[in-house]
Amino acid sequence: MVKDLYKRYGDKAVLRGVSFEVEKGKVKVIMGPSGTGKTTLLKCIDMLVKPDSGKIWLEDLELTDPRIDVSEARRKIGFVFQEFNLFHHLTAIKNVMIGLTKVKKLPRGEARAIAERSLLKVHIDRELWDKYPAQLSGGQKQRVAIARALAMEPMIMLYDEPTSALDPQLTREVLEVIKELAEDGMTSLIVTHEVGFASEVADEIMIMIDGRIVERGDPRSIIYDPRREETRKFFNKIMKIGDELR
Amino acid sequence: MSFWNEFFSKLYIGVLTTLQLLAVAIPSSIILGIFIGVLRVYGGKIEKTLANLYVHIFRGFPLLVTLMIMFFGLADIGIRLTPYWAAALAIIVCSSAYQSEYVRMSILSIDEGQSLAARSLGMKRSVEILYIILPQAFRIAFPGIGNEIIYMILYSSLAYIVGVNEIFSVAISVNSIWFKPTEVFLTTALIYLAMTTMASYGLKKLERKLWIPGFETDVKR
Amino acid sequence: MNLMTFSKYLPYIFEGSLWSLGLVLGGLGIGFAIGVTFSLVQVYGNPLLRRLISFYVWFFRGTPLIVQLFLFHWSIFPALGINSTALTTSITVLGLRSGAYQSQIFRGAIGSIEENQMLAARALGMSNWDAISSIILPQALRIAIPQISNEYSVILKDSAICFILGIMELMTRAKYAAIATGIALIPYLIAGLIYLVLTYIGTMFFNLIYLKKRIPDSVEG
Repeated sequence: MVKDLYKRYGDKAVLRGVSFEVEKGKVKVIMGPSGTGKTTLLKCIDMLVKPDSGKIWLEDLELTDPRIDVSEARRKIGFVFQEFNLFHHLTAIKNVMIGLTKVKKLPRGEARAIAERSLLKVHIDRELWDKYPAQLSGGQKQRVAIARALAMEPMIMLYDEPTSALDPQLTREVLEVIKELAEDGMTSLIVTHEVGFASEVADEIMIMIDGRIVERGDPRSIIYDPRREETRKFFNKIMKIGDELR
Repeated sequence: MSFWNEFFSKLYIGVLTTLQLLAVAIPSSIILGIFIGVLRVYGGKIEKTLANLYVHIFRGFPLLVTLMIMFFGLADIGIRLTPYWAAALAIIVCSSAYQSEYVRMSILSIDEGQSLAARSLGMKRSVEILYIILPQAFRIAFPGIGNEIIYMILYSSLAYIVGVNEIFSVAISVNSIWFKPTEVFLTTALIYLAMTTMASYGLKKLERKLWIPGFETDVKR
Repeated sequence: MNLMTFSKYLPYIFEGSLWSLGLVLGGLGIGFAIGVTFSLVQVYGNPLLRRLISFYVWFFRGTPLIVQLFLFHWSIFPALGINSTALTTSITVLGLRSGAYQSQIFRGAIGSIEENQMLAARALGMSNWDAISSIILPQALRIAIPQISNEYSVILKDSAICFILGIMELMTRAKYAAIATGIALIPYLIAGLIYLVLTYIGTMFFNLIYLKKRIPDSVEG
């Protein structure tokens, strides 16, 4: 749950009082024009960026409490980056294992077993396990990154535009995986521009413009019947771009 | 004893001494160089300032000056080092200063996403540096560190000046008895050539072994 | 105790920097001439000449300066019938050695601009030599300035090793001051600091040249 989050960079206010909640097992999607603080919001939730004010809870744990161990808290939150950020020097399976062995301190055998399960869950087959990131396609990289976050058994997954660095055909395989995980009951908060995907997967869509959530609701009403003019404009714009791409 | 007999039997000791010096200096300077490089990037204000000062001084001083200070200078304030340790320490501090620069640049060249991903998994800074940043930085810095190893082989000859009985000081002493400078110094040069050539061959092999797809380790001198 | 008498030696040590700079400028100049020539031969010359130069570079980069100094002073120059003083040997050897390093610097610089620029020059109807002297070299020299600056600081520190032949440069004077006063730490520290300052002054000087001469928007920043 996020309450009243504020963040500024220099004299630019990026988050201007953001509040919402992702209930257990639910999938929430944040959409909005680029440069409106969506990535910053996700980074704040994982405490990768410190918010200026406001509070964040992970169930009963207040993440913004300065007394807590932040790295302890972060491992309970899975983060999937736009640019994948796989560790360049580790093979696919070792990328998934390293959090288990070095953070959770699991023995190698156990870590490997969990890693294998996570990789299979995101449809990364055995022959790719020992490949280095540079030898994988973008879609494969992103799925390994999802497996890496998943293996830590997070309470929630945060996806920061997980497909915006991918070609359209690779986008599909990644979205498919995210959807499957969501259907399995993975609590998720997703920032994306993929309208079709959002409408399929989301329990609620939130529209973020200029550091504020201006509108929220179930996918159908938000996409086809938005109450606010700026939401309507935003959807018109991205659908048009989508049409041009097709 | 003939000239060549005497020269070679003494050279044998000299080579062993040089290798002994390098066996301590090379690994120590690499470890110290990495440590100082890490301090220069991740240290607090005081650590950073001290580490930078260390690097400025020992990169700015010729190795010979550092060596004289280690052996003669420190004796003035009651620290008496043996020739071997004065030479080893001088080489270590000098080379680690240069190596820390390679390490620092390599760390800075690693993209921010690596650190973000490490932290998002719940890694503490020390774990992140040890298992994510340094394995990558070391690979990027490897050609530079390799050059430093070659330099250490060459500059170990300066240990002669404080009286370490290494290759070059054997050459000097044999030449002073027999006065055959061509034979003596040409042979000495060939020994160093053999050592540096083998070292750079070994380093190339090691670099290939450490290579990982997608890694750009081809950093210029 | 002897600090008062020591102050007498300060100007004496400072004067050594002129000798050191003399060694450096001489060595850098000779090295420049050799470096440019050899780099051109390595890029454009015939295979035999290229081989010879590779051998030269291998020799001078693979042996210690101190060995080279003795080899040339006591063996090679006498064998060639050259009556070389300590000073001329020092400058020549520093130059020959720097030439090996500089040839690699220029070779890299030429390599980084060669292909397209050569094609363009040829397309204008320039002869090979015209293209090299008026198109390739002026650019290569500019690109190489930062590395030449680095070469300056290397050769400055290496010049300290020439004290072994008794040149009255910084190191020798620091040593005499140490012997005369019975204090080693201070004269060597002062010598070290002078080297440090000379390094910074030189680097600033090369930076100025670089800023003045550099081609706007050139890639090698």
